[in-house]
Amino acid sequence: MIEVKNIKKNYGRKQVLKGVSFTANKGEITCLIGVNGVGKTTIMNAIMGLTPINSGEILIEGKQLDKTSYEKITFIPDAITMLPQMKISDAMAFMNDYYQCWNQKRANDMLKFFRLEKESRISELSKGNRAKVNLLLGLALDVDYVLMDEPFSGIDIFSREQIAEVFTSHLIENRGVIITTHEIHDIEHLIDKAVLLDDGVIIKEFNAEEVRENEGKSIVDVMREVFRV
Amino acid sequence: MKNYVKLFNFEMGRFLKGYLALVGFTVIVQVLGAVITSRSYTNKINEHVYHEGMAIDEFLSQFGDMSMYAIIHSLWIQGPILFCISVLLIYTLLIWYRDWFGKNTFIYRLLMLPTERMNIFFAKLTTIMVMVLSLVALQIMLLPVLNKLMGSLVPEAYFMNLSFKEMISGFNVLTILFPFSFSNFMIHYGLGLLAVSLIFTAILFERSFRLKGIVYGILYIALSLLILFSPVIMIAITETSYLYPLELFYFELILCVLVFVMSILTSRFLLNKKITV
Repeated sequence: MIEVKNIKKNYGRKQVLKGVSFTANKGEITCLIGVNGVGKTTIMNAIMGLTPINSGEILIEGKQLDKTSYEKITFIPDAITMLPQMKISDAMAFMNDYYQCWNQKRANDMLKFFRLEKESRISELSKGNRAKVNLLLGLALDVDYVLMDEPFSGIDIFSREQIAEVFTSHLIENRGVIITTHEIHDIEHLIDKAVLLDDGVIIKEFNAEEVRENEGKSIVDVMREVFRV
Repeated sequence: MKNYVKLFNFEMGRFLKGYLALVGFTVIVQVLGAVITSRSYTNKINEHVYHEGMAIDEFLSQFGDMSMYAIIHSLWIQGPILFCISVLLIYTLLIWYRDWFGKNTFIYRLLMLPTERMNIFFAKLTTIMVMVLSLVALQIMLLPVLNKLMGSLVPEAYFMNLSFKEMISGFNVLTILFPFSFSNFMIHYGLGLLAVSLIFTAILFERSFRLKGIVYGILYIALSLLILFSPVIMIAITETSYLYPLELFYFELILCVLVFVMSILTSRFLLNKKITV
């Protein structure tokens, strides 16, 4: 389980996170929802140790993040994390070099699924294909938790559909997923837990399945109520 | 250790094209310099000795003989050396900043590698030092080659062969780059290593605290310099030296090690606890 306990984060005088707490379980998809600038990406970066927090605690399986945690948890940011001059094969070799949990077979399967050419250079790929490579590099790791920041941001509808398919496949099965997205429609029916953020605080956290069954509301309906759109 | 070696190899690979361009530039400019200078000298010989019938002794007393001295103090040799030094100084900053800026955010990947983050620091530090040392080695090999080349282009009676030591002894930059003793070599390059590690720590301050980090970085370097020069400052203030020169040297050596260790520990803290993408 990933436990985020009362984290606070300031950028200069501005407090971006004002005591955020939530948990994300293995085998569940947790979605952080909120408008731009509410601190979704900051939460992701904080979980991965990519930005320090001012106070609070983040635990992964009961332990604070250390170098070994990166064999258990992976983060797929909204921009590709490899060098543009690299070929996809170079990027895969790089991952294979450093991560014991790299699964080459799964990486090859994903290459086929996304119809990507191994010898293509990252700099020559379209935005959609770059997002797919980014996803491939993250999901080909045999980790327990996957964090995704805006995986559908700025990409065409066909690539979006292909990426959304990933969420119904074995690639996500049994893993704990935390995702931030604006494109909630594409994966709404797959989300287990929704965490609504506004102005650096959680304003509502709910089990999407329960709300669907008990109240007959979708996540978007709840969002409309909460954000009064 | 294995990951450090892999990261070092990776960092070397990233600058390989730039490094080869520097090597190519240095070799081409210096060889061109040797050829052009020699040709212009032999043209003078042709003009005065063969066409005007001037005696060799008279020519030598009027124009002097030809040797590596003719180009070692010129831009042909100094230019590429100063250019390489400038590029490596800029690269000392770029080696960190390029991972944050641009279309891709490679720093995410580097910081999320399942290895000690200090391996990134040491890999970048070693890359800079290896680049410096290999360019120095290239220059050490190139000077005798240029000497031979000039010797082959200028008639023997007009050419003075110089030993390596003679070539560099009159040129301050070269005596810093190629110290004559092993202890001087260790001191010069040890100070170089210390300077690069201080710059790296200052960069990490900036990358951790952004605008405030620039101030912290500058203060950190100022503090380090103050520690390093404290014995000299004390002597200047009190106008008395309580230490013999050798004792002063050892004391400075200890301070250098202290500042280096301080830089490593500060960088480790910043990379593990304060760095932000």
